[in-house]
Amino acid sequence: MIGAVREFVDRVLGRGEATIAVPSFDGALKPDQRLEEASVVLESATAEDMATDGQSLFLADGQRILRLDGSAATAVKTFDKPITALACLPGGGFAVALAGREVRVYAQIGDAEPRVLFADSGMRAVNALAPTPDGALIATDGSSNLDVGDWARDLLERGRSGRVLRLDLKTRETRVLASKLRYAFGASAPGDSILVSESWRHRVISIAPDGATHAVLDHLPVYPSRLSPASAGGYWLTAFAARTQLVEFVLREPAYRRRMMAEIDPALWIAPRLRSGQSFMEPMQGAHLKTMGVVKPWAPPRSYGLVIRLSAEGLPLYSLHSRVDGIHHGVVSAIELAGDLYVLAKGPGRVLKLPIAGIEKGVGA
Amino acid sequence: MNDMILTLSKATKLYAGVPAIEDVDFELARGEIHALVGENGAGKSTLTKVMAGVVALTSGTMTVNGADVAPKTPLEARNLGIGMVFQENSLVPTMTVAQNLFLGQEKFYNRTRGIYIAAQQFLQSLNFDVTPTMTVGALGAAKKQMVEIARAVLHQAKVIIFDEPTATLTPEEKKYFFDLVRDLKSRGVSIVFISHALEEALYLADRITILRDGKRVVTDDASKFDRARIVQAMVGRDLSNTLYGARKTMVRPMGPRVLTVKNLKMAPMVKNNSLSVFGGQITGVFGLVGSGRTETFKVVAGVLKRDFFHGGEIVLHEKPVRYLVPAPAVRDGIAYVTEDRKIEGFFETSSIARNIYLGLLAKFPRGRMLLSKREANKVGKSWIEQLKVRAIGDDAKVVELSGGNQQKVVIAKSLVQEPELIIFDEPTRGVDVGAIVEIHDLINRLADEGKAVVVISSYLPEIMALSDRILVSRAGKVVEEFSALEATEEKIMYAAIH
Repeated sequence: MIGAVREFVDRVLGRGEATIAVPSFDGALKPDQRLEEASVVLESATAEDMATDGQSLFLADGQRILRLDGSAATAVKTFDKPITALACLPGGGFAVALAGREVRVYAQIGDAEPRVLFADSGMRAVNALAPTPDGALIATDGSSNLDVGDWARDLLERGRSGRVLRLDLKTRETRVLASKLRYAFGASAPGDSILVSESWRHRVISIAPDGATHAVLDHLPVYPSRLSPASAGGYWLTAFAARTQLVEFVLREPAYRRRMMAEIDPALWIAPRLRSGQSFMEPMQGAHLKTMGVVKPWAPPRSYGLVIRLSAEGLPLYSLHSRVDGIHHGVVSAIELAGDLYVLAKGPGRVLKLPIAGIEKGVGA
Repeated sequence: MNDMILTLSKATKLYAGVPAIEDVDFELARGEIHALVGENGAGKSTLTKVMAGVVALTSGTMTVNGADVAPKTPLEARNLGIGMVFQENSLVPTMTVAQNLFLGQEKFYNRTRGIYIAAQQFLQSLNFDVTPTMTVGALGAAKKQMVEIARAVLHQAKVIIFDEPTATLTPEEKKYFFDLVRDLKSRGVSIVFISHALEEALYLADRITILRDGKRVVTDDASKFDRARIVQAMVGRDLSNTLYGARKTMVRPMGPRVLTVKNLKMAPMVKNNSLSVFGGQITGVFGLVGSGRTETFKVVAGVLKRDFFHGGEIVLHEKPVRYLVPAPAVRDGIAYVTEDRKIEGFFETSSIARNIYLGLLAKFPRGRMLLSKREANKVGKSWIEQLKVRAIGDDAKVVELSGGNQQKVVIAKSLVQEPELIIFDEPTRGVDVGAIVEIHDLINRLADEGKAVVVISSYLPEIMALSDRILVSRAGKVVEEFSALEATEEKIMYAAIH
């Protein structure tokens, strides 16, 4: 009862959960155009995730896994369902999540049959896989109710059914490490604790072996996605969209959202997107975005591109941006390989490459 | 010496037997702009207060137009044609601008509308954008200063003494002020002005007198001075390399985020402001007067309240906070060192130790049932030593201290609370170069210790010398961020204006 009264008061006064407030891009998140200026290695409209075995870069592209050699891509395996997550395992082999509903682990890339199959634990939207030092696999299941492609609906329905699963490759058991997450999307397991992106709560959390969670990085101005380890220690965190006050406002109007979802084409919802500027009917346009016909880089972003370099403690060190006037938006994966950073911008369907030494020189790191 | 409008000969003023000025000779020519410079405690304020009749000389003589005088009150000095604009403003905060302007000159039948019209015309003639019907308490520091200046001009003084007149003015306002001073000079008015901005003294003055430790060191034409010579004479040592020294070649790494301000609103000054402050760094906040920078951080510290409806959010150490008064903010580790030390910084008739102890008491959740004089003295003495507060005796009242030492007391009052986030608002306003170096060292030391430090300043060299990252505020919100490595004065000023 008290909670309901408090919620009502918060809604009237615009406080607490009802605060329509977005943190600024400042400090280590200060905007630049480095991501926008990155060289394009490959274009593919169906690219979904990336992984590396330390030698080669693999790209989950629709139902295929591609190996990238320079700008040439070779299909090394094809599945019957779209791949939603990809990971290379430390001792060789790789794991894929198919249609978000099953995880297959292969000992060799050429094997026809999986060594282990996880398909019966209520998976619905597995969107990232990460190996652990003890040979297990961490899977983030974004939503228990909606498919991977329905992530915008999950946000608008204020979904909190995300889970983090530990898949034991030896015992073939699945253990739920954390549940009721607001869209778990991306994990990294460098030690006992696991870092997980919780997109709708704009934070990265750490999950201890006993299941205790705490926020490592909170109040982000973006929706974080996949994480990967950095060779010099720490992590690369990607963000597929930036928060706006308009979306925050819509998120506190349930009736409006219900009607919008029922009547409007999903491509035109007031919700973050992986790319924008495709239609004149998009919600944010005109003076929101343009002055004298030129897109303002600082305008409220419907789509955005961001990679954040985190320290081992989870503190942001610097970041790479593609702003509103750019196209390298919807970044869902960043992988380090041989001194380069490969970034998957799902919005335009591009794999980008940036030399890490050049990045660090540019930011004075 | 007919062209000398005011002279002081062997002027000495003792406080409790200790000389504030000693055997000072001073001459002010007709239509001259004469700058008085010196460290805090050098005796500048005392010397000018003698001229303005605020204090009387212990020994020595003063002449105005060749006649011996000894004004005992400001009214007597005003009747002699001497007016003073004080460093800490002397306006009545509950009265309107117009009432303050005409205070003491009211007619028997005082028509409010009449004085508003007269004040409006007069302020317009000076190019001062101040509304005469506004209550002075509601004005910012710069506008209060304008009213002070206007009042002195209104009294048609032949000698006007300005004590730190430009400390709170924006570059644009300073230009107006300089034009005004030159205009007064052309009308035969003599100007004495105290300034810590040495460039202003060099730029504006005809002659410069430098005081040190209550004695006159040198008086000479301004053209014969440069910055290094002035500083050398002021402090007896070369500080030019330490004060606003060379460009930063490296900045401190960013620590954890201590403060996040999200879409903060406080009409009409703060409009949808968002920013972050990180530990182990100095975050400089630059903006012109009225850009909302002070108000933003006053809301953070609980001195002001954000808008009741949709006022945005403040997150301290990942926890949303909303302070209605400063006490809980102090307990959560936020200290705000005010820009207006006289009004908000201390109890001026209390001792230094007692003021510092009051700062400590704010840290305790329920205050203290019994106050310990011994503890107060111990705490006070410790901070007086740490910050090198120079006072005449241990029980000296804060009002008896020079501006720089008063500022140190205000800082000590905040630091005794062991804050994690320290907000310095104009930390060296009205402070001499020696004290500026000490205060800057202290601010740097706090950041080195891992504290989150915010420095709000209108003085660009100070922002550039101290900050690791620089936020520029304009029209109620932060509009630009620079790393200290990439910032230039031009870039910062451009962002602050355009």
